[in-house]
Amino acid sequence: MIELIHASKRYPNGVNALNDINLKIDQGEFVYIIGPTGSGKSTLIKLLDGEEIPSSGTVNVVGINVGKLRHSKVPLYRRNIGVVFQDYRLLPRKTVFENIAYALEVIGMRKDMIRLRVRQVMNLVGLDDKGNSFPSELSGGQQQRVAIARAIANKPKVLIADEPTGNLDPAMSDEIMALLQKINREEQTTIVMVTHDLPLVNKHKKRTIVLEEGHIVADLQQGGYVQHD
Amino acid sequence: MFNMISRFFRPIKEGFYGVGRHAAMSISSASAVTITLLIISIFLIFSFNLQQFTKDVEQSVQIAVMIDYAYEEQSQMDKIGIDIGNIEGVSEVKFSSKEDEFQYYLDGFEDEAQKEVFEPFREDNPMHNAYYVSVEDGSNLKVVADQIAQIEGVDSIDYGGESAVVLVNALNSIRTGGGILAGALSLLAIFLIQNTIKLTIFARSDEIAIMRNVGAKNGFIRSPFLIEGIIIGILGSIIPIMLSVFGYIYLYRIMDGVIISKMFVMIPPHPFVLKIGGILLLIGMAVGLVGSFFSVNKYLRWKR
Repeated sequence: MIELIHASKRYPNGVNALNDINLKIDQGEFVYIIGPTGSGKSTLIKLLDGEEIPSSGTVNVVGINVGKLRHSKVPLYRRNIGVVFQDYRLLPRKTVFENIAYALEVIGMRKDMIRLRVRQVMNLVGLDDKGNSFPSELSGGQQQRVAIARAIANKPKVLIADEPTGNLDPAMSDEIMALLQKINREEQTTIVMVTHDLPLVNKHKKRTIVLEEGHIVADLQQGGYVQHD
Repeated sequence: MFNMISRFFRPIKEGFYGVGRHAAMSISSASAVTITLLIISIFLIFSFNLQQFTKDVEQSVQIAVMIDYAYEEQSQMDKIGIDIGNIEGVSEVKFSSKEDEFQYYLDGFEDEAQKEVFEPFREDNPMHNAYYVSVEDGSNLKVVADQIAQIEGVDSIDYGGESAVVLVNALNSIRTGGGILAGALSLLAIFLIQNTIKLTIFARSDEIAIMRNVGAKNGFIRSPFLIEGIIIGILGSIIPIMLSVFGYIYLYRIMDGVIISKMFVMIPPHPFVLKIGGILLLIGMAVGLVGSFFSVNKYLRWKR
């Protein structure tokens, strides 16, 4: 499903963000990627969603060599993956319903099918009654749930979540985690979640990949992470 | 089917929203178009009229060919006429007998008494039989005239001399210069639009990033901005179109349809003003389209 082979990323300013990363994630897996600031977590996400091109090595997602995509083909690739960001990135002038529908309009889905699918995902994330609200009228946790609903609306095979609980309190974070696990279970979506929320990682145990200074320093299949000094 | 229609109308709808949402920016872009189109309009009107003058001048310039007294047999004169007609660039050859010429000469006098003075010469006509030759292109008047002068039996030729050629050439080069200037002004307008639309796009950079994140293709993102550019172009062309249509009609009326002398006859306003209006509208739309195309592309390339 996701495979990085000797992937490295060196930015033009000389920073080596990722060094020789080899990583394989199978379909239906739920994986945490953790590490301190500057460890290369964000760069890894950017390689996966096609925003950055690896300096060397290959990045394969759903059978597509992401680094070799032409600029005009990147959007088509993104229809296979959903991305959730720490800052939600909702369109402020569109309602919740419109925000979610937007991801489907973009791929040219028919209006009546859009309506059906939007209701479906709004129900999945537990926001049935918020369709006509604007993002600014919602709490952070609710906005993140809208962002998740938008990301999964077109049934992507992979969901990438970049610090989805970064701006939320622990109770809300648990809600979001429950939701992501439900999506992982019910829609068989592969989920890659970048976080530095260690209590969360230890509470909901999943396969955990630890990044430090651009290297994978641990890949714990059983999950849980004990900080070592 | 329904889907296709909504796909067609979406960018138009969004384009109008865009113009409204960034009203101040749209107005400033539109006024950049307005100013350039005004200048282009002046040049268009000037240039089309000049073209018309040139044509008039070219058409009115004729070569008068006088036939030698020794070649007054009908067959000889016919041969000269055919020879002139065979020269490349000659569009029309008209014959005028020496009697016609004499009458034409007499008609030139307004005073009846003066006509009487020349009446005795009717029997002993001093005029030549003549051909009047029109040429297709005024700029090769001299070449044609020189060739006619070579024909056997031609006594002399007269074509208003070098001055006609110089006038035609001068008008032509003014027209070319005007065209180049109008082209340069269009480029300037594109540049102005590009800059202003770049600002409206910058204001919406988050939106574009989100669009790409959810998998919108470049064309999908670009089309509303292109429509927005076209709308701004149309808005910007309203004032120039109005001014040139009514301005030209007014000018035509107060100038009585001529400039300086009867030699320069202005193009009648109908349907000329509609043509100018149409051209201005097209230039405005094209400038808006090209300007926004460049700036959206620049932004799309900036982010992967």
